[in-house]
Amino acid sequence: MNLVRAELERLAARRFVQLMVLLLVVAFAVTVATTLAGSHRPTPLELSRAQAQAADQVRDMELAHDRCLRIKAGTVTPDENDYLPRDCAQIDPARMEKLPAASDYLSGVFVFANEAEPLLYFLIAFLAMFGFLVGASYIGADLNSGGVVNLLLWRPRRIAVLGAKLGTLLGGLLGLSALASVAYLGVFWLIGEVSGLTGRLGGEFWSSLGVVWARGVVLVLLAAAIGFAVATLGRHTSAALGTVAAYLVVWELGARLVFQILDVARPERFMLSSYLGAWLSGEARFWDGSACDDGVGGFCDGSYTLGWAPGLVVLLGLTGALVVAAFAVFRRRDLI
Amino acid sequence: MSAVIEIAGLRKTFHTLRQGRRVAVDGFDLLVESGQVHGFLGPNGSGKTTTLRALLGLVRADAGRMSVLGADSPERLSEVAGRVGAIVESPQFFGNFTAHRTLRLLALAGGVPTTRVDEVLEQVGLRDRGDERVKGYSLGMKQRLAVASALLKDPQLLILDEPANGLDPAGIREMRDLMRSLAAAGVTVLLSSHILAEIQLICDHVTIISRGRRVAYGPVAEVLAGFDQHQWQVRVAEPERAVELLGRAGLAVTAYPEHLVVTGVVDPELISRTLGEQGLWVRELVPLRPDLESVFLELTGDHPHPALPRQVDGAPPRDGVIDLDVRESREVDA
Repeated sequence: MNLVRAELERLAARRFVQLMVLLLVVAFAVTVATTLAGSHRPTPLELSRAQAQAADQVRDMELAHDRCLRIKAGTVTPDENDYLPRDCAQIDPARMEKLPAASDYLSGVFVFANEAEPLLYFLIAFLAMFGFLVGASYIGADLNSGGVVNLLLWRPRRIAVLGAKLGTLLGGLLGLSALASVAYLGVFWLIGEVSGLTGRLGGEFWSSLGVVWARGVVLVLLAAAIGFAVATLGRHTSAALGTVAAYLVVWELGARLVFQILDVARPERFMLSSYLGAWLSGEARFWDGSACDDGVGGFCDGSYTLGWAPGLVVLLGLTGALVVAAFAVFRRRDLI
Repeated sequence: MSAVIEIAGLRKTFHTLRQGRRVAVDGFDLLVESGQVHGFLGPNGSGKTTTLRALLGLVRADAGRMSVLGADSPERLSEVAGRVGAIVESPQFFGNFTAHRTLRLLALAGGVPTTRVDEVLEQVGLRDRGDERVKGYSLGMKQRLAVASALLKDPQLLILDEPANGLDPAGIREMRDLMRSLAAAGVTVLLSSHILAEIQLICDHVTIISRGRRVAYGPVAEVLAGFDQHQWQVRVAEPERAVELLGRAGLAVTAYPEHLVVTGVVDPELISRTLGEQGLWVRELVPLRPDLESVFLELTGDHPHPALPRQVDGAPPRDGVIDLDVRESREVDA
């Protein structure tokens, strides 16, 4: 416990960590300021106009659905402008996840319900980068400066020391992510209340946002663990940065190009970014060019999807393998 | 006296892509007993730091047995780590942390009361500068901080690798006084250094390592005595006649422009009597005692003497090599 406390203090006192937190605060402040500057509380007139536009849109959708049903029943003849899906239920407004709302027709008004998810994605992206860099530099600088050796002279249990460092990193990051998310979303909710609209914030909204947040936090922790593990294996912060840069250039760009030239089917299956996207958004849809390449004409849906479950398995597997390798190597390494 | 550090047959080889295989320590033995201030000498690259790192669990030994305060190392090192203070080869600290914070974090990690921080800063003379960032410290101040970190645990055993590194003469004297006061308080000290005069002044026992092997060990006085050739520097008015008289008496004499050196005489009275009986009066009679530096240079092969310890990397020994293990047992163990 003392070791974890000491490590937490050491982590918080690191200048790089403080700099990154400052950067987060600055980015946060800039976003808040621009949002505040570009938003106003809608007047009753603006609101009623937007409500009318939304109601018109819903009515048009109901009419289109009704017409679809009648065309299918043969009571009405379709004209060239009619959109006819296979099943009219696809355009049934009653079955739609989200119907047009007044907030969709308000310009210059920040609507929290509409913006919360993209804002949260931005925060997750920042925290994932933060986690990776801090994770790598935390152990990389310590290995490089002899801090780990100093610590091992006090606690000569390598696995416990490295485990305490990783645990502290992940615990600290989890706490920071939770605090940052609450502060971030809280401030934007307040902006919606004071200088915009909060929108529809039912249980469904919060649960959906909660899922995105939970996925994001898992990603942040995995990024930190990967940074930590690669820097441990390479004994240096730059090892982690170099590995990521090399992966992006060699595999995500280079190999993708080679797969395209060789006409490899579904190359996205081999890319980490596909699984990352699938995990974060719940599902990633890709186009498989070879699926419809059978010479037979007609409709062909060549798309395929990667769900969040395989995404999680791949990300967890990769992180787990790197962390296990880092601990195994560190356990036997000569610290000279 | 009980053994505080025991190393037997320590062997360590490094394998690197660039340099290939390099034997750092080859069957090294070390024994440090309770209450000793034990000097650990060796030239650069002789295996001193590797030995200390292996002892402290930082480097994995290929073979050999080690124990610290009765606990096998590295397996049971954690049981005694709280009683062992150590610095190994100029430890680095985070430049942005103050000395106070650096020590406080170590104390926290090691379960030592943080009140010890001020005490050790005082002990090493950093009390007034403890709140400054380490990056502003001189090499000597960083070294003091390292020693402070080793003292933080109030250790029974102190292992210090080159503690005088970067210290000015006044700092070296302070460090010497500190070592003495610790030894007087019953702390066993293992001190690795290349400042031989310091070792001779501070340490009561010494182990000399060369090319990964122990080449001498024992009480400092005994090690020096083992290399004492009982030489005397003699000045007389008629050196040529003195050479003749001493030679006739069966003594080995070497003539130098300013003086004579007589070798193999235990009692100097023999020289003065031999010359005095023939009316030749001795103006100066000075014993030529070996110091640690000359012993070190002879043993480690870092001198013009043709004798060199054998290569530990498997290279064949040169002609005229003295088997230092044999000499060690003859001159030191005897």
